[in-house]
Amino acid sequence: MEIDWGLFGELFARTFSFWWVILPAILLGLIVGAIPGFSAANTIIILLPMTLAMEPEIGLIFMVALYASSRMGAGIPAILVNIPGTAGAAATPLDGYPMTKQGRAQQALAISFVASVFGGLLTTLIALVAMPWLSQVAYHLHSVEMIVIMLFGISLIATIAAKDTLKGLIAGFFGLMIGYIGADVVYETPRGTFGFLELYDKVPLIPALVGLFAVSEAFAVIEGESILTKRGMAAMQKAGWKETWEGVTMAMSRWWHIIWTSIIGLVIGIVPGAGAAIASFVAYQQSKTFSKTPELYGTGHLDGLVAPESANNGVTSGTLIPLLVIGVPGGATAAIMAVVLQYHGVTVGPDLFENQPELAFGAFTAMAVTYAIMILTVLPLARYMSKITVVSTTYMAPIIISFTLVGAFVPRAYVFDMYLALAFGVIGYVARKTGYHVAAILIGVILGPLLENYFLRALRISEGDVLVIFSSGIGNILWILLIISLFVPMYLDKRRQRQREQALPTTTDC
Amino acid sequence: MADDEQSTDNPKPSGPKPLGGELILPISGLLFTIYYFTTIIDVPWTAQVSAFFVGTILIGLIAALIIRTSLRVKRGEATLGLGPLFAPKAYIPKRLALLGLTLAYIFFIQWGGFTITTFFFLLFAMLLLSDGKKKGLIFGISLALSIGGYLLFILAFNTRFPRGPVETLLKDVF
Repeated sequence: MEIDWGLFGELFARTFSFWWVILPAILLGLIVGAIPGFSAANTIIILLPMTLAMEPEIGLIFMVALYASSRMGAGIPAILVNIPGTAGAAATPLDGYPMTKQGRAQQALAISFVASVFGGLLTTLIALVAMPWLSQVAYHLHSVEMIVIMLFGISLIATIAAKDTLKGLIAGFFGLMIGYIGADVVYETPRGTFGFLELYDKVPLIPALVGLFAVSEAFAVIEGESILTKRGMAAMQKAGWKETWEGVTMAMSRWWHIIWTSIIGLVIGIVPGAGAAIASFVAYQQSKTFSKTPELYGTGHLDGLVAPESANNGVTSGTLIPLLVIGVPGGATAAIMAVVLQYHGVTVGPDLFENQPELAFGAFTAMAVTYAIMILTVLPLARYMSKITVVSTTYMAPIIISFTLVGAFVPRAYVFDMYLALAFGVIGYVARKTGYHVAAILIGVILGPLLENYFLRALRISEGDVLVIFSSGIGNILWILLIISLFVPMYLDKRRQRQREQALPTTTDC
Repeated sequence: MADDEQSTDNPKPSGPKPLGGELILPISGLLFTIYYFTTIIDVPWTAQVSAFFVGTILIGLIAALIIRTSLRVKRGEATLGLGPLFAPKAYIPKRLALLGLTLAYIFFIQWGGFTITTFFFLLFAMLLLSDGKKKGLIFGISLALSIGGYLLFILAFNTRFPRGPVETLLKDVF
């Protein structure tokens, strides 16, 4: 595959001419992304008759624009009301919501928008140019390497719960056990289902997300007049356009952080099945590991918001790479795009770049153009969106409960899933009140089934030899990186503590 | 998360720290893990291996927490009180009533459908939280949101929201 810069230029100009398709897709994507239970994949399925009726090129542009904007939309409620629109935004409230409570919702939204747009734009351009090489990543990651990547995810649990590692690990491993509920993949034996048929197909992620974050938050916030602190309320009442601009400059000052965390998202996005949730938590963990102020993570730290938002938008272009280059969708939305393209007689895979380069490369130019248009349309809205935080909890809590519970119903149309979301809400409420992190439980629920699948696959290939997990060169490198990422923060913490102790007598002397 | 921020506005109580509430989640986790093990005891190894691995680690972690808490209680640094779990106590009746309303909402939505059930849930829940004040405003908000939800999610997006008599009736109209 040779790079044809002239073709890229033509494609960009042509894609801009479809602004009338991109703009409504952006608005729709922002809305569906912001509502738990409504993913871009579901929306594309609902709008399938429309996308099938479109020309393949226009249909693809519409789907890509909706996909990219829904990723950004999911971060909006995560920041404003501590409810991630999708699991991919579950790491966003860790520092986004504390900023909101301090009355800095407008800055937080602007930071999120800038990090999302530049992270997404950069990785899209990298994907466009480096696609032939990046696509090889998926070939080298097998079950053994994926086990280490999953364990990377579990190590995040300890990082997120930095205040009390033991409680963080209990929350995470409890989540993993919940994630193991359901029939096993080989013999379909029901395990831990309490006799509910609805749980045979594993614990559905949306009710878990809705319950742990939204329902528990709604029950917790009713003891205050507002979700804001007193100082936060005062700051919000004075907020104007200046705060949006401040957020933009704060995010731009972290340009290097945006670059490397979005590349984490791109690489993880290429791995089929890994997804935005893992990417955003891995980026958060790495950001914290190499930060000079890790103790400020979780209190409204700028980098703690930039990292997950850049990474989960980096995933967006990453998931399209295996679809277009080797014909394997990197995620649910990419799979639906493949179906729509196949309906039009377009076969995804290596031949696509030879036969219809305008479609193959066009998917990425559409994404880049979407991000460019998105920043112009969404940034001015930060000021108005942030006003939702001054709404009294008297109105906010019931609205959150009713609409998110119905969101839990939507994916499978089971009333059972609403009860399940309420049960997760109770778990989440107890967790919040007693110092356990709901994000750690959610990571466990997400990773449980994935870890088990890869673990079983590796054991079956090796005929039960547990040492298979150390049998791969790439896997062993990942093991070393995992150990480094676990122990470097401890070493840095101790060093900082030593430095503080050494500095203390000097300060006292002064 | 919420508590960290709230604690900055409220002075922290002195004396032994109540840690009983911190044991609720681990004990639930322990009971669930034991139950889970009973469901996989007679199944092929492929269905057991990963869960036994993770479950054993979880039991070990819970044991460590219980030992840590016991030592703190023994040293007089902590008590087994429930602490912040139900605090502030004045909100316990409201929380329980809201939980009851939420259960009723889920129970009735399968027959009543989204629009009417959501209207009544929002109305009663907001009246509960506002102590019966601003009735007119709450009625208006509940009506606007339930109708708005119907128009956006059911009529415009044709989303799989729970359907009932109102939705069936309106389907014939639109």
